[in-house]
Amino acid sequence: MRIIFQYLMLVFLFSCSDSELVSMKQISNGAQLYKSHCANCHQDNGSGLAKLIPPLQHADYLSKNAKQLPCLIKNGYKGIMNVNGIAYNMEMPAARGITDKEIADICLYVLQKFPEKPIQLADSVIDNQLQNCE
Amino acid sequence: MQKVLGFIGFSLMFVACSHDHSLPILGNRTPIEKMVDGKMVVDTEYATVPDFFFLNQDSIAVTQETVKGKIYIADFFFVTCPTICPIMKKQMIRVFEKYKGDTNMLLLSHTIDPEHDTIALLKDYSTRLGSDGKQWMFLTGNREAIYDMAEKGYYATAMPDSTEPGGYVHSGGFILVDGLRRVRGIYNGTDEAEVTHLMDDIDVLKKEK
Repeated sequence: MRIIFQYLMLVFLFSCSDSELVSMKQISNGAQLYKSHCANCHQDNGSGLAKLIPPLQHADYLSKNAKQLPCLIKNGYKGIMNVNGIAYNMEMPAARGITDKEIADICLYVLQKFPEKPIQLADSVIDNQLQNCE
Repeated sequence: MQKVLGFIGFSLMFVACSHDHSLPILGNRTPIEKMVDGKMVVDTEYATVPDFFFLNQDSIAVTQETVKGKIYIADFFFVTCPTICPIMKKQMIRVFEKYKGDTNMLLLSHTIDPEHDTIALLKDYSTRLGSDGKQWMFLTGNREAIYDMAEKGYYATAMPDSTEPGGYVHSGGFILVDGLRRVRGIYNGTDEAEVTHLMDDIDVLKKEK
């Protein structure tokens, strides 16, 4: 039984393309970075904090503005943001001490984990966004 | 034999669970001599939280008279805190939800950034967290008075620190105070299990005579 399981695991691993493995590694790295840079406010499970800090879990804003996420993390956000029918107004600080590559990994994780249906953004799209943040 | 062992095990578990512990009284103790029925006896005076004067999110004065005879929890935060405060507030919401409507319980959250955290901002913060504004209050006042109260009244740390994210360093403690203004416990407000422990201890304190 154990041998069959190990065999199936090997088949599973080798069935992934190189790009899929890279992506899985990025998402895993993004999960760690999310925990240390984002989870204090947005919480581990993305639930946010009451009407003070918006949720990421099933957030309509996230689904509608996925492409803006890299710059939102990089520059922070000031002003009213409507998420799931609630107007939030707490300033989000700009990311400090992390690289564009790390922001990209956080984006991949957040968009995989929290929307109702995972959203995929190509690396090139994220890179392009990060290089052209206003 | 198995039944006997089972009975003994169950009995031990019952005895262990039904044992109510009493809470310590934190701070310095001073022996005082006093006359009782013509005899000189030595009694113990416990440390208490000093008198205070702060304003809450509705500009209403909150003093030692407000907390007289009530159990309360104190903590320290600032609105723009990007580190431990949101986690602490998530946990404080748990405590608030459990004791909502209990007229003998108060929650006092003190800002350590009174210049930025105006009364209007504290009002908005309070409303957004779901506080009723009466049982869970957000206090401000003279900066030095707040820091002094943190250190001397509640054994907590609160001070500016430009190297910290947000510009301040403060402890994440929830300080449990009894109806005689004595500190009975300090709990890590960023730890869910410790906050559960705090709520267990509140229930113990409520039964104290």
